[in-house]
Amino acid sequence: MNVFWSFAGVEARKRMSYRVDFWVNAVVSFVTELGVAWFIVLAMFAGGGRVGDFSREGMLLYFVAIILGSRIVRSADLEWAIADDIYNGALSRYLLYPANFVVLKYATQIGALLPVLIQIVLFGAWVPFVLGIPEGIHVTPATAAMCLGALAVANLLHFMTCLPLQLVAFWADNCWSLLVAHRIVASFLGGLLLPLSLFPSWSQTALAALPFRYLFAFPVDVLLGRVSPVEYVAGLAVAVLWCGIFAGISAAIWRRGTLQYTGVGM
Amino acid sequence: MIRYLRLYGYFLRFSVSRAMEFRFDFFFRIGMDMLWYAHHLAFFWLLYRHTPLLGGWNLDQLLVFSGGMFLVDAIQMTMTANNTWMLPIYVNKGDPDYYLVRPVSSLFFLSLRDFAANSFINFLMAVGLFAWALARYPGPLGAGAIAMYVGLLLLGTLLHWSLHMIFILPVFWLHTSGGLREVFWSLDRYTQRPHGIFTGWVRRVLVSLLPFALIVSYPTTALFNGLTWTLFLHIAGAAAAAFLVLVWIWKRGLRVYASASS
Repeated sequence: MNVFWSFAGVEARKRMSYRVDFWVNAVVSFVTELGVAWFIVLAMFAGGGRVGDFSREGMLLYFVAIILGSRIVRSADLEWAIADDIYNGALSRYLLYPANFVVLKYATQIGALLPVLIQIVLFGAWVPFVLGIPEGIHVTPATAAMCLGALAVANLLHFMTCLPLQLVAFWADNCWSLLVAHRIVASFLGGLLLPLSLFPSWSQTALAALPFRYLFAFPVDVLLGRVSPVEYVAGLAVAVLWCGIFAGISAAIWRRGTLQYTGVGM
Repeated sequence: MIRYLRLYGYFLRFSVSRAMEFRFDFFFRIGMDMLWYAHHLAFFWLLYRHTPLLGGWNLDQLLVFSGGMFLVDAIQMTMTANNTWMLPIYVNKGDPDYYLVRPVSSLFFLSLRDFAANSFINFLMAVGLFAWALARYPGPLGAGAIAMYVGLLLLGTLLHWSLHMIFILPVFWLHTSGGLREVFWSLDRYTQRPHGIFTGWVRRVLVSLLPFALIVSYPTTALFNGLTWTLFLHIAGAAAAAFLVLVWIWKRGLRVYASASS
Protein backbone atom coordinates (compact mmCIF):
# COMPACT_ATOMS: atom_id res chain seq x y z
CA MET A 1 0.00 0.00 0.00
CA ASN A 2 2.92 2.33 0.78
CA VAL A 3 4.36 1.71 -2.68
CA PHE A 4 0.94 2.45 -4.20
CA TRP A 5 0.71 5.84 -2.49
CA SER A 6 4.37 6.62 -3.24
CA PHE A 7 3.70 6.16 -6.96
CA ALA A 8 0.52 8.22 -6.67
CA GLY A 9 2.43 11.00 -4.87
CA VAL A 10 5.21 11.12 -7.45
CA GLU A 11 2.67 11.38 -10.26
CA ALA A 12 0.72 14.12 -8.44
CA ARG A 13 3.90 16.19 -8.01
CA LYS A 14 4.81 15.65 -11.65
CA ARG A 15 1.39 16.80 -12.82
CA MET A 16 1.48 19.91 -10.67
CA SER A 17 4.90 20.90 -12.03
CA TYR A 18 3.58 21.55 -15.57
CA ARG A 19 1.32 24.34 -14.42
CA VAL A 20 0.94 26.81 -17.29
CA ASP A 21 0.48 24.17 -19.97
CA PHE A 22 -1.87 22.21 -17.74
CA TRP A 23 -4.08 25.12 -16.75
CA VAL A 24 -4.35 26.61 -20.23
CA ASN A 25 -5.48 23.24 -21.56
CA ALA A 26 -7.78 22.62 -18.61
CA VAL A 27 -9.56 25.98 -18.79
CA VAL A 28 -9.98 26.00 -22.60
CA SER A 29 -11.10 22.39 -22.64
CA PHE A 30 -13.69 22.91 -19.89
CA VAL A 31 -15.03 26.17 -21.31
CA THR A 32 -15.26 24.71 -24.83
CA GLU A 33 -16.83 21.42 -23.83
CA LEU A 34 -19.36 23.14 -21.63
CA GLY A 35 -19.92 25.89 -24.20
CA VAL A 36 -20.80 23.44 -26.97
CA ALA A 37 -23.09 21.42 -24.68
CA TRP A 38 -24.68 24.63 -23.37
CA PHE A 39 -25.60 25.89 -26.85
CA ILE A 40 -26.86 22.47 -27.90
CA VAL A 41 -29.17 22.47 -24.88
CA LEU A 42 -30.39 26.00 -25.61
CA ALA A 43 -31.08 25.00 -29.23
CA MET A 44 -32.95 21.87 -28.12
CA PHE A 45 -35.13 23.88 -25.76
CA ALA A 46 -35.70 26.72 -28.23
CA GLY A 47 -39.35 25.69 -28.46
CA GLY A 48 -39.73 25.67 -24.65
CA GLY A 49 -41.20 22.83 -22.57
CA ARG A 50 -39.30 19.71 -21.50
CA VAL A 51 -37.08 17.31 -23.38
CA GLY A 52 -37.46 13.77 -22.12
CA ASP A 53 -37.53 14.03 -18.33
CA PHE A 54 -35.38 17.18 -18.26
CA SER A 55 -36.17 20.87 -17.88
CA ARG A 56 -33.70 23.20 -19.60
CA GLU A 57 -31.92 24.10 -16.34
CA GLY A 58 -31.93 20.45 -15.28
CA MET A 59 -30.18 19.41 -18.49
CA LEU A 60 -27.65 22.24 -18.19
CA LEU A 61 -26.86 21.08 -14.65
CA TYR A 62 -26.56 17.50 -15.96
CA PHE A 63 -23.95 18.60 -18.52
CA VAL A 64 -21.95 20.66 -16.02
CA ALA A 65 -21.91 17.71 -13.61
CA ILE A 66 -21.03 15.10 -16.22
CA ILE A 67 -18.27 17.19 -17.80
CA LEU A 68 -16.67 17.74 -14.40
CA GLY A 69 -17.29 14.16 -13.28
CA SER A 70 -15.78 12.75 -16.47
CA ARG A 71 -12.48 14.42 -15.56
CA ILE A 72 -12.34 12.44 -12.34
CA VAL A 73 -13.27 9.24 -14.13
CA ARG A 74 -10.83 9.64 -16.99
CA SER A 75 -7.93 11.06 -15.00
CA ALA A 76 -4.88 10.21 -17.14
CA ASP A 77 -7.01 9.43 -20.17
CA LEU A 78 -5.52 8.79 -23.60
CA GLU A 79 -1.97 8.69 -22.37
CA TRP A 80 -1.48 5.00 -23.21
CA ALA A 81 1.28 4.80 -20.58
CA ILE A 82 1.00 1.02 -20.27
CA ALA A 83 1.12 0.50 -24.05
CA ASP A 84 4.17 2.78 -24.24
CA ASP A 85 5.97 0.86 -21.49
CA ILE A 86 5.36 -2.42 -23.29
CA TYR A 87 6.30 -1.11 -26.70
CA ASN A 88 9.43 0.72 -25.55
CA GLY A 89 10.63 -2.09 -23.31
CA ALA A 90 10.24 0.02 -20.15
CA LEU A 91 8.05 -2.75 -18.74
CA SER A 92 11.23 -4.72 -17.96
CA ARG A 93 12.18 -2.63 -14.93
CA TYR A 94 8.67 -2.95 -13.50
CA LEU A 95 8.91 -6.71 -13.81
CA LEU A 96 11.87 -6.55 -11.42
CA TYR A 97 9.96 -4.55 -8.81
CA PRO A 98 8.38 -6.51 -5.98
CA ALA A 99 4.99 -5.05 -6.90
CA ASN A 100 2.29 -5.61 -9.49
CA PHE A 101 2.84 -3.55 -12.67
CA VAL A 102 -0.87 -2.89 -13.25
CA VAL A 103 -1.43 -1.81 -9.64
CA LEU A 104 1.49 0.63 -9.91
CA LYS A 105 0.02 2.05 -13.11
CA TYR A 106 -3.32 2.49 -11.38
CA ALA A 107 -1.51 4.32 -8.58
CA THR A 108 -0.13 6.66 -11.23
CA GLN A 109 -3.66 7.30 -12.47
CA ILE A 110 -4.79 8.08 -8.92
CA GLY A 111 -1.87 10.50 -8.54
CA ALA A 112 -2.89 12.27 -11.73
CA LEU A 113 -6.23 13.02 -10.04
CA LEU A 114 -4.86 15.72 -7.72
CA PRO A 115 -4.80 18.59 -10.23
CA VAL A 116 -8.11 17.33 -11.63
CA LEU A 117 -9.72 17.61 -8.21
CA ILE A 118 -8.47 21.20 -7.92
CA GLN A 119 -10.05 21.88 -11.32
CA ILE A 120 -13.36 20.40 -10.22
CA VAL A 121 -13.49 22.64 -7.16
CA LEU A 122 -12.55 25.77 -9.12
CA PHE A 123 -14.72 25.12 -12.18
CA GLY A 124 -17.67 23.76 -10.23
CA ALA A 125 -17.81 26.47 -7.57
CA TRP A 126 -19.97 28.79 -9.67
CA VAL A 127 -22.65 26.21 -10.44
CA PRO A 128 -24.90 26.66 -7.38
CA PHE A 129 -24.91 30.43 -7.89
CA VAL A 130 -25.71 30.40 -11.61
CA LEU A 131 -27.96 27.39 -12.05
CA GLY A 132 -29.24 26.82 -8.52
CA ILE A 133 -31.09 23.55 -8.04
CA PRO A 134 -33.66 23.20 -10.84
CA GLU A 135 -37.08 21.66 -10.33
CA GLY A 136 -37.00 17.85 -10.32
CA ILE A 137 -33.35 17.70 -9.18
CA HIS A 138 -32.59 16.65 -5.61
CA VAL A 139 -28.95 17.19 -4.66
CA THR A 140 -28.39 16.41 -0.97
CA PRO A 141 -25.33 15.56 1.18
CA ALA A 142 -26.42 11.92 0.91
CA THR A 143 -26.54 11.93 -2.91
CA ALA A 144 -23.17 13.75 -2.98
CA ALA A 145 -21.63 11.07 -0.76
CA MET A 146 -23.16 8.29 -2.86
CA CYS A 147 -21.85 10.03 -5.98
CA LEU A 148 -18.29 9.98 -4.59
CA GLY A 149 -18.55 6.21 -4.20
CA ALA A 150 -19.88 5.84 -7.74
CA LEU A 151 -17.07 8.05 -9.08
CA ALA A 152 -14.43 5.95 -7.32
CA VAL A 153 -15.81 2.78 -8.89
CA ALA A 154 -16.16 4.56 -12.26
CA ASN A 155 -12.50 5.63 -12.15
CA LEU A 156 -11.44 2.02 -11.57
CA LEU A 157 -13.83 0.78 -14.26
CA HIS A 158 -12.42 3.26 -16.77
CA PHE A 159 -8.92 2.04 -16.04
CA MET A 160 -10.02 -1.58 -16.37
CA THR A 161 -11.86 -1.06 -19.67
CA CYS A 162 -8.76 0.59 -21.16
CA LEU A 163 -6.35 -2.03 -19.81
CA PRO A 164 -7.00 -4.86 -22.32
CA LEU A 165 -6.73 -2.34 -25.16
CA GLN A 166 -3.38 -1.11 -23.88
CA LEU A 167 -2.11 -4.68 -23.53
CA VAL A 168 -2.63 -5.15 -27.27
CA ALA A 169 0.74 -3.35 -27.46
CA PHE A 170 2.34 -6.77 -26.88
CA TRP A 171 1.42 -7.52 -30.50
CA ALA A 172 0.65 -4.21 -32.23
CA ASP A 173 3.06 -1.34 -32.66
CA ASN A 174 0.43 1.28 -32.20
CA CYS A 175 -2.81 0.87 -30.30
CA TRP A 176 -3.70 4.52 -29.73
CA SER A 177 -6.54 4.23 -32.24
CA LEU A 178 -8.12 1.54 -30.05
CA LEU A 179 -8.07 3.92 -27.10
CA VAL A 180 -9.55 6.71 -29.19
CA ALA A 181 -12.27 4.28 -30.30
CA HIS A 182 -12.88 3.44 -26.64
CA ARG A 183 -13.20 7.13 -25.86
CA ILE A 184 -15.74 7.63 -28.66
CA VAL A 185 -17.90 4.68 -27.60
CA ALA A 186 -17.63 5.45 -23.89
CA SER A 187 -18.55 9.12 -24.41
CA PHE A 188 -21.59 8.25 -26.47
CA LEU A 189 -22.93 5.22 -24.62
CA GLY A 190 -21.83 6.65 -21.27
CA GLY A 191 -24.12 9.67 -21.54
CA LEU A 192 -21.39 12.26 -21.91
CA LEU A 193 -22.76 13.61 -25.18
CA LEU A 194 -26.45 13.23 -24.39
CA PRO A 195 -28.40 11.99 -21.35
CA LEU A 196 -29.11 8.28 -21.74
CA SER A 197 -32.79 8.83 -20.96
CA LEU A 198 -33.05 10.51 -24.39
CA PHE A 199 -32.06 7.24 -26.08
CA PRO A 200 -34.95 5.11 -27.42
CA SER A 201 -36.75 2.93 -24.89
CA TRP A 202 -35.70 -0.25 -26.73
CA SER A 203 -32.05 0.52 -26.00
CA GLN A 204 -32.42 1.17 -22.26
CA THR A 205 -31.95 -2.44 -21.13
CA ALA A 206 -28.75 -2.79 -23.15
CA LEU A 207 -27.44 0.57 -21.88
CA ALA A 208 -28.03 -0.55 -18.30
CA ALA A 209 -26.20 -3.83 -18.88
CA LEU A 210 -23.17 -2.38 -20.68
CA PRO A 211 -20.29 -0.91 -18.63
CA PHE A 212 -20.31 2.56 -20.20
CA ARG A 213 -23.28 3.96 -18.28
CA TYR A 214 -21.41 3.40 -15.01
CA LEU A 215 -18.50 5.52 -16.20
CA PHE A 216 -20.27 8.86 -16.55
CA ALA A 217 -24.08 8.93 -16.45
CA PHE A 218 -24.57 6.80 -13.36
CA PRO A 219 -22.51 8.92 -10.92
CA VAL A 220 -24.23 12.08 -12.18
CA ASP A 221 -27.70 10.55 -11.96
CA VAL A 222 -26.83 9.55 -8.40
CA LEU A 223 -25.71 13.11 -7.57
CA LEU A 224 -28.88 14.62 -9.05
CA GLY A 225 -31.08 12.29 -7.00
CA ARG A 226 -32.36 10.38 -10.03
CA VAL A 227 -31.34 6.96 -8.66
CA SER A 228 -32.99 5.12 -5.76
CA PRO A 229 -30.85 3.38 -3.08
CA VAL A 230 -31.74 -0.03 -4.55
CA GLU A 231 -30.77 1.10 -8.07
CA TYR A 232 -27.57 2.55 -6.61
CA VAL A 233 -26.49 -0.74 -5.08
CA ALA A 234 -27.48 -2.64 -8.25
CA GLY A 235 -25.54 -0.13 -10.40
CA LEU A 236 -22.41 -0.43 -8.29
CA ALA A 237 -22.69 -4.21 -8.43
CA VAL A 238 -22.87 -4.16 -12.24
CA ALA A 239 -19.87 -1.81 -12.39
CA VAL A 240 -17.80 -3.99 -10.05
CA LEU A 241 -18.81 -7.06 -12.06
CA TRP A 242 -17.54 -5.39 -15.23
CA CYS A 243 -14.28 -4.53 -13.43
CA GLY A 244 -13.91 -8.23 -12.67
CA ILE A 245 -14.67 -9.25 -16.26
CA PHE A 246 -12.11 -6.81 -17.66
CA ALA A 247 -9.57 -7.89 -15.04
CA GLY A 248 -10.03 -11.50 -16.19
CA ILE A 249 -9.64 -10.55 -19.87
CA SER A 250 -6.57 -8.45 -19.05
CA ALA A 251 -4.98 -11.26 -17.03
CA ALA A 252 -5.41 -13.65 -19.97
CA ILE A 253 -3.90 -11.16 -22.42
CA TRP A 254 -1.08 -10.37 -19.97
CA ARG A 255 -0.17 -14.06 -19.63
CA ARG A 256 0.01 -14.56 -23.39
CA GLY A 257 1.70 -11.21 -23.99
CA THR A 258 4.48 -11.61 -21.43
CA LEU A 259 5.34 -15.00 -22.98
CA GLN A 260 6.53 -13.25 -26.10
CA TYR A 261 7.73 -10.00 -24.53
CA THR A 262 11.37 -9.45 -25.45
CA GLY A 263 12.12 -6.50 -23.20
CA VAL A 264 14.08 -4.58 -25.80
CA GLY A 265 11.29 -2.57 -27.33
CA MET A 266 8.88 -4.35 -29.63
CA MET B 1 5.30 22.89 -59.10
CA ILE B 2 5.97 19.70 -61.12
CA ARG B 3 8.90 18.98 -58.82
CA TYR B 4 6.65 19.24 -55.76
CA LEU B 5 4.03 16.97 -57.35
CA ARG B 6 6.70 14.38 -58.14
CA LEU B 7 7.99 14.65 -54.61
CA TYR B 8 4.47 14.14 -53.27
CA GLY B 9 4.22 11.03 -55.46
CA TYR B 10 7.27 9.63 -53.66
CA PHE B 11 5.68 10.48 -50.29
CA LEU B 12 2.59 8.47 -51.34
CA ARG B 13 4.56 5.41 -52.44
CA PHE B 14 6.67 5.38 -49.30
CA SER B 15 3.67 5.93 -46.97
CA VAL B 16 1.56 3.19 -48.56
CA SER B 17 4.34 0.60 -48.42
CA ARG B 18 5.07 1.49 -44.79
CA ALA B 19 1.37 1.34 -43.83
CA MET B 20 1.12 -2.20 -45.17
CA GLU B 21 3.93 -3.30 -42.84
CA PHE B 22 1.94 -2.31 -39.75
CA ARG B 23 -1.26 -4.17 -40.46
CA PHE B 24 -2.75 -4.04 -36.95
CA ASP B 25 -2.63 -0.26 -36.89
CA PHE B 26 -3.93 -0.13 -40.45
CA PHE B 27 -7.21 -1.77 -39.45
CA PHE B 28 -7.46 -0.22 -35.98
CA ARG B 29 -7.48 3.24 -37.47
CA ILE B 30 -10.09 2.37 -40.08
CA GLY B 31 -12.30 0.99 -37.30
CA MET B 32 -11.73 4.08 -35.17
CA ASP B 33 -12.83 6.45 -37.91
CA MET B 34 -15.88 4.32 -38.72
CA LEU B 35 -16.92 4.54 -35.08
CA TRP B 36 -16.42 8.28 -35.15
CA TYR B 37 -18.73 8.64 -38.17
CA ALA B 38 -21.32 6.32 -36.63
CA HIS B 39 -21.39 8.04 -33.25
CA HIS B 40 -21.69 11.44 -34.89
CA LEU B 41 -24.67 10.39 -36.99
CA ALA B 42 -26.29 8.61 -34.04
CA PHE B 43 -25.82 11.70 -31.85
CA PHE B 44 -27.71 13.94 -34.26
CA TRP B 45 -30.32 11.26 -34.96
CA LEU B 46 -31.03 11.12 -31.22
CA LEU B 47 -31.17 14.91 -30.94
CA TYR B 48 -33.70 15.16 -33.75
CA ARG B 49 -35.97 12.66 -32.02
CA HIS B 50 -36.56 15.45 -29.50
CA THR B 51 -36.43 18.59 -31.60
CA PRO B 52 -37.42 19.35 -35.22
CA LEU B 53 -34.75 22.01 -35.77
CA LEU B 54 -31.27 22.62 -34.47
CA GLY B 55 -29.79 26.02 -35.14
CA GLY B 56 -32.33 26.49 -37.96
CA TRP B 57 -31.49 23.22 -39.73
CA ASN B 58 -33.62 20.09 -40.01
CA LEU B 59 -32.21 16.56 -39.95
CA ASP B 60 -31.73 16.39 -43.74
CA GLN B 61 -29.67 19.57 -43.70
CA LEU B 62 -27.75 18.41 -40.65
CA LEU B 63 -26.83 15.19 -42.43
CA VAL B 64 -25.43 17.17 -45.36
CA PHE B 65 -23.46 19.25 -42.84
CA SER B 66 -22.18 16.02 -41.25
CA GLY B 67 -21.20 14.65 -44.67
CA GLY B 68 -19.20 17.82 -45.31
CA MET B 69 -17.55 17.51 -41.93
CA PHE B 70 -16.60 13.88 -42.55
CA LEU B 71 -15.06 14.91 -45.86
CA VAL B 72 -12.95 17.68 -44.30
CA ASP B 73 -11.91 15.40 -41.46
CA ALA B 74 -11.02 12.54 -43.82
CA ILE B 75 -8.86 14.79 -46.01
CA GLN B 76 -6.92 16.08 -43.05
CA MET B 77 -6.65 12.61 -41.46
CA THR B 78 -5.28 11.26 -44.74
CA MET B 79 -2.97 14.04 -45.79
CA THR B 80 -1.81 15.97 -42.75
CA ALA B 81 -2.82 14.36 -39.42
CA ASN B 82 0.23 12.10 -39.05
CA ASN B 83 2.50 15.01 -39.87
CA THR B 84 0.88 17.47 -37.48
CA TRP B 85 1.04 14.79 -34.78
CA MET B 86 4.77 14.25 -35.28
CA LEU B 87 5.83 17.85 -35.87
CA PRO B 88 6.30 18.85 -32.19
CA ILE B 89 8.26 15.64 -31.58
CA TYR B 90 10.51 16.42 -34.55
CA VAL B 91 11.08 19.99 -33.37
CA ASN B 92 11.95 18.91 -29.83
CA LYS B 93 14.34 16.24 -31.13
CA GLY B 94 16.01 18.47 -33.70
CA ASP B 95 14.80 16.45 -36.68
CA PRO B 96 13.94 19.47 -38.86
CA ASP B 97 17.71 19.77 -39.46
CA TYR B 98 17.36 17.07 -42.12
CA TYR B 99 14.65 19.00 -43.94
CA LEU B 100 16.08 22.49 -43.64
CA VAL B 101 19.10 21.57 -45.75
CA ARG B 102 16.98 20.16 -48.61
CA PRO B 103 16.17 22.26 -51.67
CA VAL B 104 12.39 22.23 -51.06
CA SER B 105 10.09 24.08 -48.71
CA SER B 106 10.56 22.64 -45.21
CA LEU B 107 6.93 23.46 -44.42
CA PHE B 108 5.79 21.45 -47.45
CA PHE B 109 8.05 18.55 -46.54
CA LEU B 110 7.15 18.35 -42.86
CA SER B 111 3.43 18.90 -43.47
CA LEU B 112 2.82 16.37 -46.22
CA ARG B 113 5.55 13.73 -46.12
CA ASP B 114 3.42 11.09 -44.35
CA PHE B 115 0.27 10.12 -46.25
CA ALA B 116 -2.03 7.96 -44.07
CA ALA B 117 -2.94 5.07 -46.35
CA ASN B 118 -5.33 3.60 -43.78
CA SER B 119 -7.21 6.88 -43.50
CA PHE B 120 -7.52 6.91 -47.26
CA ILE B 121 -9.97 4.00 -46.85
CA ASN B 122 -11.90 6.24 -44.47
CA PHE B 123 -11.70 9.04 -47.00
CA LEU B 124 -13.52 6.78 -49.47
CA MET B 125 -16.13 6.06 -46.79
CA ALA B 126 -16.48 9.77 -46.08
CA VAL B 127 -17.03 10.43 -49.78
CA GLY B 128 -19.73 7.72 -49.73
CA LEU B 129 -21.46 9.25 -46.71
CA PHE B 130 -21.19 12.71 -48.25
CA ALA B 131 -22.79 11.44 -51.48
CA TRP B 132 -25.48 9.60 -49.51
CA ALA B 133 -26.37 12.74 -47.49
CA LEU B 134 -26.62 14.81 -50.68
CA ALA B 135 -28.60 12.13 -52.54
CA ARG B 136 -31.21 11.77 -49.78
CA TYR B 137 -31.64 15.53 -49.38
CA PRO B 138 -35.22 16.25 -50.48
CA GLY B 139 -34.61 19.73 -51.91
CA PRO B 140 -33.14 20.53 -55.34
CA LEU B 141 -29.32 20.62 -55.31
CA GLY B 142 -27.78 21.16 -58.73
CA ALA B 143 -24.38 19.88 -59.85
CA GLY B 144 -23.07 23.45 -59.85
CA ALA B 145 -24.13 24.02 -56.26
CA ILE B 146 -22.54 20.75 -55.16
CA ALA B 147 -19.30 21.60 -56.99
CA MET B 148 -19.31 25.00 -55.28
CA TYR B 149 -19.89 23.24 -51.92
CA VAL B 150 -16.95 20.90 -52.47
CA GLY B 151 -14.77 23.87 -53.44
CA LEU B 152 -15.72 25.74 -50.28
CA LEU B 153 -15.08 22.63 -48.19
CA LEU B 154 -11.58 22.44 -49.67
CA LEU B 155 -11.04 26.03 -48.59
CA GLY B 156 -12.40 24.99 -45.18
CA THR B 157 -9.87 22.15 -45.10
CA LEU B 158 -7.05 24.61 -45.78
CA LEU B 159 -8.39 26.83 -43.00
CA HIS B 160 -8.65 23.87 -40.63
CA TRP B 161 -5.10 22.72 -41.30
CA SER B 162 -3.74 26.27 -41.00
CA LEU B 163 -5.47 26.76 -37.64
CA HIS B 164 -4.19 23.39 -36.45
CA MET B 165 -0.63 24.32 -37.37
CA ILE B 166 -0.96 27.76 -35.78
CA PHE B 167 -1.77 26.02 -32.50
CA ILE B 168 1.09 23.54 -32.87
CA LEU B 169 3.88 25.89 -33.91
CA PRO B 170 4.24 27.55 -30.50
CA VAL B 171 6.25 24.40 -29.75
CA PHE B 172 9.23 26.35 -31.15
CA TRP B 173 9.01 28.60 -28.10
CA LEU B 174 7.24 26.48 -25.48
CA HIS B 175 9.09 23.16 -26.04
CA THR B 176 6.05 21.30 -24.75
CA SER B 177 5.05 17.93 -26.13
CA GLY B 178 2.45 19.31 -28.52
CA GLY B 179 2.48 23.10 -28.52
CA LEU B 180 -1.12 24.15 -27.92
CA ARG B 181 -2.54 21.11 -29.70
CA GLU B 182 -4.90 20.18 -26.87
CA VAL B 183 -6.33 23.69 -27.02
CA PHE B 184 -6.93 23.27 -30.75
CA TRP B 185 -8.66 19.93 -30.29
CA SER B 186 -10.92 21.45 -27.66
CA LEU B 187 -11.84 24.37 -29.90
CA ASP B 188 -12.31 22.05 -32.86
CA ARG B 189 -15.53 20.85 -31.22
CA TYR B 190 -17.06 24.07 -32.58
CA THR B 191 -16.32 22.84 -36.11
CA GLN B 192 -18.47 19.77 -35.48
CA ARG B 193 -21.65 21.65 -34.56
CA PRO B 194 -23.79 23.84 -36.85
CA HIS B 195 -22.97 27.50 -36.28
CA GLY B 196 -26.66 28.34 -36.07
CA ILE B 197 -26.85 27.05 -32.51
CA PHE B 198 -24.34 29.62 -31.32
CA THR B 199 -25.45 33.13 -30.43
CA GLY B 200 -24.02 36.47 -29.33
CA TRP B 201 -20.29 37.02 -28.99
CA VAL B 202 -19.49 33.31 -29.24
CA ARG B 203 -20.91 33.28 -32.75
CA ARG B 204 -18.99 36.43 -33.68
CA VAL B 205 -15.73 34.94 -32.41
CA LEU B 206 -16.37 31.73 -34.36
CA VAL B 207 -16.55 33.61 -37.66
CA SER B 208 -13.69 36.02 -36.99
CA LEU B 209 -10.95 35.51 -34.44
CA LEU B 210 -11.31 31.71 -34.19
CA PRO B 211 -13.08 30.99 -37.49
CA PHE B 212 -14.07 27.38 -36.80
CA ALA B 213 -17.61 28.05 -38.08
CA LEU B 214 -16.21 28.86 -41.53
CA ILE B 215 -14.76 25.38 -42.04
CA VAL B 216 -17.97 23.41 -42.65
CA SER B 217 -20.95 25.40 -41.36
CA TYR B 218 -20.60 28.39 -43.67
CA PRO B 219 -20.04 26.27 -46.81
CA THR B 220 -23.17 24.29 -45.87
CA THR B 221 -25.09 27.54 -45.43
CA ALA B 222 -23.91 28.57 -48.90
CA LEU B 223 -25.24 25.29 -50.31
CA PHE B 224 -28.72 25.79 -48.84
CA ASN B 225 -29.07 29.57 -49.08
CA GLY B 226 -26.94 30.29 -52.13
CA LEU B 227 -23.41 31.64 -52.33
CA THR B 228 -22.97 35.38 -52.10
CA TRP B 229 -19.75 37.24 -52.83
CA THR B 230 -19.64 38.36 -49.20
CA LEU B 231 -19.80 34.79 -47.99
CA PHE B 232 -17.19 33.58 -50.48
CA LEU B 233 -14.80 36.41 -49.63
CA HIS B 234 -15.34 35.75 -45.95
CA ILE B 235 -14.37 32.07 -46.22
CA ALA B 236 -11.58 32.56 -48.76
CA GLY B 237 -10.22 35.59 -46.88
CA ALA B 238 -10.14 33.71 -43.59
CA ALA B 239 -8.41 30.70 -45.21
CA ALA B 240 -5.83 32.92 -46.91
CA ALA B 241 -5.24 34.97 -43.77
CA ALA B 242 -4.82 31.86 -41.62
CA PHE B 243 -2.38 30.37 -44.13
CA LEU B 244 -0.32 33.57 -44.23
CA VAL B 245 -0.25 33.75 -40.44
CA LEU B 246 0.88 30.12 -40.41
CA VAL B 247 3.72 30.81 -42.86
CA TRP B 248 4.75 33.87 -40.85
CA ILE B 249 4.82 31.89 -37.58
CA TRP B 250 6.71 29.08 -39.31
CA LYS B 251 9.42 31.49 -40.46
CA ARG B 252 9.63 33.09 -37.01
CA GLY B 253 9.76 29.65 -35.44
CA LEU B 254 12.63 28.53 -37.65
CA ARG B 255 14.55 31.62 -36.59
CA VAL B 256 14.42 30.59 -32.92
CA TYR B 257 14.80 26.88 -33.69
CA ALA B 258 18.07 25.70 -32.19
CA SER B 259 18.32 22.16 -33.54
CA ALA B 260 18.45 19.23 -31.10
CA SER B 261 18.62 21.49 -28.08
CA SER B 262 15.18 22.98 -28.87
